[in-house]
Amino acid sequence: MSGTRNKNFKKQFKPAYFFGHIVLLGIGLILLYPLIFMVLAGFFTKTEFTATVLGIFPIPKQPTLENFKALIIGSTDSSVAMYFRNSVIRTAYNTFWAILTSFLAGYVFARLKFKGREVLFLIMLATQMIPGTLAIIPTYLEFARFPFAGGNDIFTGGTGILNSWWVYLIGGPSINIMGTFLVKQSLEKVPIEIDEAAIMDGTGTFRLIFQILFPLQLPIMAFIAITTALGTWNDFITPFFYTTNDNLQTLPAAITRLSSVGASPGAVINYPMIITLSLGITIPALLIFAFFQKYIVQGLANTGIKG
Amino acid sequence: MEKTAEQEGRVSFNRRMGRHKDAIIAAVILIPMFSFWLVVSGFPTLFGFALGFFEWVGLADTPNFIWFDNFVSFFNNPVYTDALWRSIWLGGLVTAITLGAGFGAALLMNMPLFGKGFYRSIWYIPAVTATVATTQVFNIFLDSNNGVINNILKALGKDPIVWQYSVGWGIFWIVVYSVWKGVGGAALIWLAGLQSVDASLYEAAEMDGAGRFSKLRYVTMPGLKPIATYIVITNLIGAIQIYEQVLFITNGGPYGQTEVLVFRIYRDGFWDFNLGMAGASSLIMAIIVITATVLYYNWSTKSDKQTTIPIKPVNRSSKGGSSHVRNT
Repeated sequence: MSGTRNKNFKKQFKPAYFFGHIVLLGIGLILLYPLIFMVLAGFFTKTEFTATVLGIFPIPKQPTLENFKALIIGSTDSSVAMYFRNSVIRTAYNTFWAILTSFLAGYVFARLKFKGREVLFLIMLATQMIPGTLAIIPTYLEFARFPFAGGNDIFTGGTGILNSWWVYLIGGPSINIMGTFLVKQSLEKVPIEIDEAAIMDGTGTFRLIFQILFPLQLPIMAFIAITTALGTWNDFITPFFYTTNDNLQTLPAAITRLSSVGASPGAVINYPMIITLSLGITIPALLIFAFFQKYIVQGLANTGIKG
Repeated sequence: MEKTAEQEGRVSFNRRMGRHKDAIIAAVILIPMFSFWLVVSGFPTLFGFALGFFEWVGLADTPNFIWFDNFVSFFNNPVYTDALWRSIWLGGLVTAITLGAGFGAALLMNMPLFGKGFYRSIWYIPAVTATVATTQVFNIFLDSNNGVINNILKALGKDPIVWQYSVGWGIFWIVVYSVWKGVGGAALIWLAGLQSVDASLYEAAEMDGAGRFSKLRYVTMPGLKPIATYIVITNLIGAIQIYEQVLFITNGGPYGQTEVLVFRIYRDGFWDFNLGMAGASSLIMAIIVITATVLYYNWSTKSDKQTTIPIKPVNRSSKGGSSHVRNT
């Protein structure tokens, strides 16, 4: 065994392999560089950051952990911790629903026989082709004119469900089409005899779904959960466009409001604060990736090959 | 004894109810989900398309049905046609660079290198970061006063560049950002494709004396065709709709000359409150994306049939063949 290993090790110095190492590591580090910069900048105090002439690797003279602390336990500017909490709650909520809806709907389309199943599934997939960003403005109008909500008499008069928790709550139980597709595909590989045997034993549909089939689909469910979690965690659109109340902001929306997009024209941009918030978004995302990357790589490969 | 009787009863009940029961369970599961879907996705999309046929400026305004006037002004106004054209070529450019670089990286990652898992991870990391957050780091690099790049230029005795005043640099940084974010994901998918190519084909090619490049040309590339279809479609569709990086890096400037169509839709809707034009642009964008998908998909499946030898019989059936097989 050590022999083959040794041989492999020597192989690493073949010109082609050596070239591979240099390119993959070199460009890889360049790709990481913006994040390295972000972390370094996180150790600056606000005053030092604005006073320093920033170089490629900015090193603070008086490193501080204040920015990291502010995210978790809050500081004099306690809203940072609140944005963080809102982000966590919203992400957990959407992920929970994504798992539930994609598994249940995947089960329906893979296992149950009913009229129009194939047509319904095709229509569902077709809607995936319509660019999602196009619905931002109509959704705003819909939320603003939501019947009987937020002081609306039927359609007008109030603010609808804009600026309320409903903006976040309403999206969760909607069907997750990509997830449904993946679960359907994956369940079709599970022999139907398992279902039949379970039903013979007197297992109800509910137990069949959650105790027998669900555990068999953990890798694909992990992929769905992670992509939904990262998508929600990084999303600025919903909180930025549909809420203005400070209590409802998440980290990405807070950054948007501080950036040139949301700040008043000509204002000096508060980069130290943006860096703090950015770290609050990026570090958890990287942790999720680090723990679950096996599922991400596998899932990406699966969607790619089957797509 | 009683239990088995009960079980038997249940099974026969299931058999009798069979189809019926399936439909009920499906309805119980799907109807709530689709209701929510209609509220948050279906209705807004249709509503958005309908907006395209109205003149509606500002929420307080009364919408005015004007047939196709918005579409006529779309194609007569260079602001829109330029934005559309920019979306297309910018999307194409980003896709080409991302997929090209990703393919090169995948070829390297496919070699039995030590630490290739580590390389895969660090290449993919930009994809999991938030556009809002990482574009801000780019903005710190590009700041005209204390930007990192300008500080370096100054240290080298060169004149600082005001990136925000230049269309070329604006586009350049949008492309750099998009490639930065996308290249790792592209590499992973290409890599999965490379690994799915039958290894015995390479051995056969080696026997025939094929070199590194002829193996790439005659074994790898044909074997990658299905995955290439997938990755080109998804990347192109994504890249044509790029707008977040435009929003955060150039904000459309200078003077709207880096605007892409989806950015323009956002701007019409939220800044200028020109809801009619936003709707019309949305519909045009949707038509382009859908047509491109359908055309490319047809083309790639058709050309597949012509070039590949049908070793296996043609796909069982396009609509859920496997489930029919299982029923028997």
